[in-house]
Order: sequence, then C-alpha cells, then structure tokens
Amino acid sequence: MPRREFDPGGGGAAPWVFLAPLIAFAAVFFVIPLGFSIWLSFTRWNPLGTPSWVGLRQFEYLFTRDGDFWRSILNTFVFAFGFVALGVPLSLGLAFVFSRARGKTLWRSVYYLPQLTNIVAIAYLWQFVLDDRYGAINRLLGMVGLAGPNWLSDPAMAMVSVVLVMIWYDAGKNMLVFSAALEGVDREIYDAAALDGASPLRTLTSVTLPIIRPAFIFVTITSFITGMGFFALILAMTGGGPRGATEVTALYTYQMAFESLRMGRASAGALILFAIIGVLSILQFRALRGRE
Amino acid sequence: MTAVDRTGAPARGAPLRIAVAPRWRRAIGPLVKYALLSLGALLMILPFADMFIGALRSPADVFASPPRYWPQDPQWGVYARVFRELPMTTWFANSIIVTVTITAAQVATSTMAGYALAKYEFGGRAAIFRLVVGAQMFPFFLFIIPIFFILRFAPLMGGNDIAGQGGSGLLGTYAALCLPFVVTWYGVFLMRQFFVSIPDDLLEAARLDGAGEYRIFRSIMLPLVKPAIATLTLFSFVYHWNEFIWTMTVTRAAPELQTLPVGIYLLQGAFEDLDQKALQQAALAVSILPVIVVFLCLQRLFVASEFSSGVK
Amino acid sequence: MPNPARPLVAIGTALIALPALAQDGPLTVAMHYTQDQAAPLIACLDAYDADGVTASYQQISYGDYLQTVLTGRLAGQSPDIYNVYSIWAAQMVDNGVLAEPPEALAQFVRDGYGAATVDAATIDGTLWGVPSEVSVYMLVSNMALLREAGIETPPTTWDGLREAAAAVTARNDQGRIETAGFAFAESSSGAGVVHPFYALVFSQGGDVYSDDYTEAMLDTPEAQEALSRMAGLVEDDITDLSIDAYDFPAGGIGMMIMANWYESAIRDGFGDRFDEDVAVSQIPMGDDWRTLQYAFFMGVDSQSDRQEEAWVLVRHLNAPRDGGLSCMGEMLDGLGALTANAADLAAQEAPDAFTRPFVEALENDRAIGQPNVMQAAEIEGMMARTFETVIAGDAEPGPALQDLDTEVEDILFEFY
Repeated sequence: MPRREFDPGGGGAAPWVFLAPLIAFAAVFFVIPLGFSIWLSFTRWNPLGTPSWVGLRQFEYLFTRDGDFWRSILNTFVFAFGFVALGVPLSLGLAFVFSRARGKTLWRSVYYLPQLTNIVAIAYLWQFVLDDRYGAINRLLGMVGLAGPNWLSDPAMAMVSVVLVMIWYDAGKNMLVFSAALEGVDREIYDAAALDGASPLRTLTSVTLPIIRPAFIFVTITSFITGMGFFALILAMTGGGPRGATEVTALYTYQMAFESLRMGRASAGALILFAIIGVLSILQFRALRGRE
Repeated sequence: MTAVDRTGAPARGAPLRIAVAPRWRRAIGPLVKYALLSLGALLMILPFADMFIGALRSPADVFASPPRYWPQDPQWGVYARVFRELPMTTWFANSIIVTVTITAAQVATSTMAGYALAKYEFGGRAAIFRLVVGAQMFPFFLFIIPIFFILRFAPLMGGNDIAGQGGSGLLGTYAALCLPFVVTWYGVFLMRQFFVSIPDDLLEAARLDGAGEYRIFRSIMLPLVKPAIATLTLFSFVYHWNEFIWTMTVTRAAPELQTLPVGIYLLQGAFEDLDQKALQQAALAVSILPVIVVFLCLQRLFVASEFSSGVK
Repeated sequence: MPNPARPLVAIGTALIALPALAQDGPLTVAMHYTQDQAAPLIACLDAYDADGVTASYQQISYGDYLQTVLTGRLAGQSPDIYNVYSIWAAQMVDNGVLAEPPEALAQFVRDGYGAATVDAATIDGTLWGVPSEVSVYMLVSNMALLREAGIETPPTTWDGLREAAAAVTARNDQGRIETAGFAFAESSSGAGVVHPFYALVFSQGGDVYSDDYTEAMLDTPEAQEALSRMAGLVEDDITDLSIDAYDFPAGGIGMMIMANWYESAIRDGFGDRFDEDVAVSQIPMGDDWRTLQYAFFMGVDSQSDRQEEAWVLVRHLNAPRDGGLSCMGEMLDGLGALTANAADLAAQEAPDAFTRPFVEALENDRAIGQPNVMQAAEIEGMMARTFETVIAGDAEPGPALQDLDTEVEDILFEFY
C-alpha cells in the first residue's frame, strides 16, 4: 500500500475548536480593550457618571499643561535605563561565574528566590532593610562608621533604591537566560580559540559575546519593556514618593484612573507611554541587530 | 526573538573554561568566582533573613531605645497570631482558588492553541501566530482600565441588563480575577514550539488507525509534551500566586476575594504601629513560603531550555 | 468525542455563578480603625441582630479609604456604612456615594452633637450622617527626654520649641539623628505636615481659604511664616524628614504636633511610664494659639438596598446604652479619641491628663474646623508635597507657596 502523505489540512474543524478559547479571549481581552482604550482617550469620563467626547483635549492637556506627566516620563526613563544599564551587565557577569561554578542547583535556587517572591513582600522586605535609621543596611554601615544614605526618604536615593531592588529582583532570571546561552556554546570553539593562541579578552569579544548576542538582545529589550511599564514594586515600596520622585508614568496613570477617577486622561497617558515604549523597542531592536 | 528549536536544548553540567589561563590565575580564579557568587547570594538572602528575624521581635525589642535588631526573647507565637489575627485563611483559600484555576485554564488553552498552530494548516494560521507573538509585546498597564470596565459592563452578568447597565457585572466575582488571564500568549507560544518538534508521522499513524482529532490530541500528543506542560504550570503558578496589581484593582473593596499579597498590601494601615511590624513580617513570610516549597519540589523541571525560550 | 473546551466552560460558569456578596449578608461597616482599635465596636456588631439583620466590620486603610470607596463603588462592592473623614465628604457627595439620613436621625444629630462636628458632616447645607470621631492637634511631649535636657515644662512659643528640640536632639557617631527633639508625623496622606501647618496658620490669625472657597490663601504672609517655621527646624539641623512618627512610642522623639487618637499607640510604647512621661500642651505659638480639629461622620451608601436598616444600625451604634457609653463612644474612648456626642460626653469618666488639653481646646474654641472644600483630599496631597519639598530644603517657601496657591485655585475654580 503506497504511503499517503501527511495532510496537515486534514483536521477539519478541529483546529478551530482548539483555537476557540484563544480567539474568544483575543477578542474580549485584547482587541476590544485596545479599541476601548483608544476611544476612552478621546473622552472625559468619571466612571460614576457618563463619558463625554473631548477630542484631543486629554492629549493636549498631558503634553502642554501637565508638568507631573512629563516628570513621570523622565522618572520612567531613569528607572528603565538604570535597570537595563546596571542590571543587564550585572546578570551577564553573574552568568559568567555561575556557568563555571559547581553546585549550580544551590546557586540557582538562591538567585531565583526573588523571582518566586510576590512583589508586595519584596517591597516591604526592602522597606525594612533600607529603613533610614534602623534598617539592616544602615545598621551595618553604621558598624563600620559610615552614615548610610536616607534610602527611601531622600528623593534622589529613593529612585536609586527602587532601581537597585528591581535589579535584585530580576538578576537571577536574566543570569539564567545568559548562562543557558553560554552553556549552549560548544567547548570545541573555545578549545579552537585557545589553540589559535587567542588571548582571553580576545576570546571573550570575538567568540563568546557574538554567540550570546541573541540572548543579550532578548534580555536587553525585555528588560527595557519591563522597566518602562512596571509599577507594582514602586507602588508598594514608595507609592511614587517621596514627593513624586519615583512616580513613573504607568503608576501615574494608574493613580489618575483609580484615585482621581479620570479614566479618559489616564487612558491617553497609558497610550502615550505605550507608543514611546513601542518606538524605542523597535529602534533598540534595529540597533542591536544591525551590528551583526 | 524568533523561534527556538526545542530539540536543541543546550546541555548543561560540565563547567566551562573560557580560555587557558596562567597558573596563578587558575588558583585565584575559583576563589574570586566563589567569593563573587557568595557575596551575591548573601545579598539575595539578606532581606529574607531580615524578615525572619524581624518577625520574632517582641514589643519590648521595638520599643527599646534604640530599638534592638536581634530579638531578645524570640516570639515564635507570631506565626500562630498571623492566622488568628489576620484573615489569613480567606487570603490563602483565594490565592489557591485563583492560582489553580488560572494555571489549569492556561495549560488547557495553551496546549490546545499551541497544538492547532503547530500541527494544522488552515487559512489565518499565520495571522493568529503573529497575534500570539505580537500580543506579548503589549504591556499589561495598557489593559487595566479597559478590562476593568469590560467586566463591569458585561451584559447580563451580576445584575446587568443586556446593555451592561444596572449591576456590577463580573466585578466582585472570582471570574474577574481569573478571566483576564485564562489565555497566556507566552504559554501558547511555548507549547507551539514544543508541538512543532514532534514528528508529523505520529499524527499520521494515529489518523490511519482511525483515531479522531480530539482523541489524538488528548491521548497521543498531550503525553508527549508533559515537560512543557510542567514548565508552563510552574511559571503560571508562580506568576499568579504573586500577581498583585490586577487582583488589587478588582478586589480593593471586596475583602472576601483578596489573595495573600493583596490582602497584606491593603491592610497596611493595620501594620503602622511599631509593635505590629513583626506581625507584618510574619505574614509576608507565610505569603512567600508556599511558592518556595513548590519551586524546590519542582526545581528539577527548570532545565536550561526554559530560560532560553524565545532567545535563539 | 468530548470537546476539550468543555471543562473550561464548566470552570467559567462555576466562577461566574459564585456571587461574591450574598444579598442578605450582614450589613458591612467600613472604617479605617484596625481590628485591634475597633475591638469594642466589633463586639457590638457581632452581637447585633435586628430582626435577622446582622452586621460585620471591614477595615480599609486610612491612606486608601477614599480610593477604595470610589473603586469599590464602580465594582458594586460598597459597604453599607462608611466612616467618612470630612475632607473626603465633598467628593463622595459630589459622586453621589452618600445617602441622606432620614429626618428623625438628622434631628438626633442636631440635638445631641456639638455644632462644629455637625458642620463637618454638612455639605452645602445638607447633613450627611452622624458625627463620630473628633480629632484635635496639640503638642505632645516625651517629658523624660525633655527633663534629661534640662527642660521641665513643654514650650509654649515657637522659639521655646526650637530651643527645647535642639537641646533634646542627639546624633550618633555618623551624624544621624538618634533622638529627635521634634518630628513631623509623616504619613502617606501627608497629614503629618499639613495639619500642623493649619495649626500654625490659624495661630497667626490666618486662614487657608477665603470664606466662599473661591480663593486659596496660601500666598499670604501667615502661610509663608508658618511654613518657614516648619522648614527652619530642618534647616537648622534640629530635626529631619527621616524621623518616623511611629518612633515616638519607642521613646525616640521629644515632641511632635499630633492628634489625640494617637494615645493608645503611645500608651503601648510607654507602658507604666505613660502618666509620668507624656505631656500634652498648647500649640507653641504664644497666647493666641489656635489649632486644627477635624471630624469623621458615619454615613450610608446610596446604593445600599438596605439603607433603612443601615441607618437603624448607625443610630444603634451611636445611642447610649443603659445610660452608659454608646458602642462608638466606647471604642473612641479606648483609643483616646474624642467624640462630640453629648450623651457620651456626659457618660464618660472625666478625661485623663492626656485627653484633657484636647477637650479644653475644643471647649475654648481654640480648635478650628478643617474646611470641607471640594477635592480637599487632592488639595491636601498637593499641599503635603509642596510643604515636604520646602521642609527638605529643595524649594523656598515664598515661590513654592505662590505656585501652590495658583494650582489650588485652579481646582477651586472648577467648583466655586
């Protein structure tokens, strides 16, 4: 009997049945919300009343009159940039040592611990540790005669603190992504490089880094997107304070919506932030890819 | 961020050497290596240790001037107090209900959709796959406001009329906590990658044996992707046990629906006095522990491939 | 063959079918007091059974209260009974959250409560509930620390406060304040800097708004002087913003301008030494000192389908029991909080040494009510941010207050 070719189109209605939940979900929780969000951004709406169409006024207000909004965009950049610029190299460095260490199970468990912890606990744990006067860190610094900074009550330090905690939270995950990439590299390549007399530095720049570039691009862009839109940690840790110093845009729009009940303006703000993230992610992706 | 070939999961184990180093460096290298790792590990553990120590402090410790760091008379009873004085059982039950429901739903929808995208050809497949990949790029903050009101104005639900007016819709039910998460784009993507790597011959053979499409899926295909299901289960469990912003938004005024992180966050007013801090720290410890236990039990499933998914 | 989507459908239906709030559940009373603080009230609620109508307690954190009420309302998760801080009231009324009390209850309030607290529960001439807690700000001192520094009585002037605070403040080797002579009662709502500011402005004969609320008076010399005084404490290294008010019970703070409800927390910290070591005295602004009072009132949700029953419960909780204190009265008494309920005042034992100065400030008309202006919570948030910026030394009082005044007037302009 001649072997029949496999017919991937032979499922009849089955694929559509399998996809039904996804399609329903995509409609109700993806397409409609996006459309609704865009529509809302052209309205003024206190949801205890009815929405009224205001055209581009919300965007106009945010762009031209709302200084706090611009400040929040700036804070968002500082947060995301600090997170990427410090966090990515750090987890790459950790991955180098981790991938060459014994006892991986133990190290992995320890470094992955923050990822398992809910963000409220993370925020509060660090509030305790960073307490100006009686937190563990400033007590430790005090023991060696240093006056620690006011980690959470000084505006500039508060931003540093939330960035550091965010890095602490994510370092383990990115370290594992990088080490997976590093371990994917054949040892023969290194042996070959060594035989050719390549210096360690040269091996690093010419062999290792190009090979992990995809992982590097992945981690950098996802970290950037995460950093730009993540506000749970800041909400629980500083509430955007002190004096608005850690108020990032996603948090600002959240509070605008659910504290001040300005749904229209909040939607407009969220869309602006999303547009910024989208454009920058694409640029970043192009730039990182382009050097290949 | 293109596809990964699942079969090519990198081998792990043997330590790598990046280059042959001089003798003195070979002696110092490991030292520096383990010193760095240990220092990092110490930083990772410090806040948790601080929490466990803090939970044991008595009022006498915190009211001392200056307050004592090390508890003089460790209050082990604090963990019983957590359950007695806080609605811990409600939070716990809600966390379990919501996490288990969402995880089960995500595994079901992801395997089904992933399978369809990997193993069938039909008009619109490419478009749906693009949606799955593309939707992952949309940050969650964009959806909070619209989904909140979609649930609020769900027709015929929770006292609403056909136009979605009059009642409170699905808000105030477990559905509001679970529905927005029943599909995970990432999960669909992950499962699709796994199914792609399964040879078509299997499907073909089963069809020749006269098995129906659903039966092939359930009895033949699902068992083959068990490792992927385990991975997805773990990721979903951890993520949704810890989910905060959404649950807080829809249960802010409904204490009977709050989960552990949300309950602890919203009860912050109860923890402001210094002698309540220990209770707060103990509650946090209780909220963290279940995930750590699940992780340690299933840790073997965390193979390198999960972390490289979507990378290569 | 069974459709694999079927279990999902089943789960979905089950989730939707589980209604969160049973229609005939207990009446819920939502307040910001912790379970611990509210224990006497909770006992009353637990015991309550009026023809099958029962009651339960829900704690909502103070800093989140207004937000929770408003979003809860969107979600149909409103409690039946609120305890409303007067500055939230205008916004709640404007959004239609509150129900008007029945006439008999309104009469009960007018007959049995002090005029200032009835005003606090009144928006645009309509009474919205039954006054509950009244709070007054005074200078609270840790006399043990003051005596150690050679000061026998709490200061009565601002210069005296500065001297006393400077004498108490002690720093550790690294220059960090270990014992603070004075502290701002920092909190998430910013009340810790805003409320003392009111007290100082009132003491100088100033005000924060014009009488018709069309104008903010934050650019006045009085406002500037008040803020400069507060900022001066940090500028001259007498205190800083890192001191947590919750250190007072731990004995780490010499003086703070604080409200009476903090008594129970201070008692917890001081234990046996409370009577001896804690003193309450006038706002240190000389003979013409004034202070701020603010009030809460109990209101009923306008969407509650059991408004009548809810008002019955509100009255029950505020009516004297067999000549003794009402349920609310008993709870407030335990907290060290004040009430404006005449029956409770009559039934109370004479106030203790801690509470007496607060009561006297009310009786002598030294305590001026906090205005019920629209968006008051938002405005106070803006004030707090400006004041903290100035106190931290990041802005000059004059220009900062000028900006604040403009911003606040922008908001007032929307409503008045």
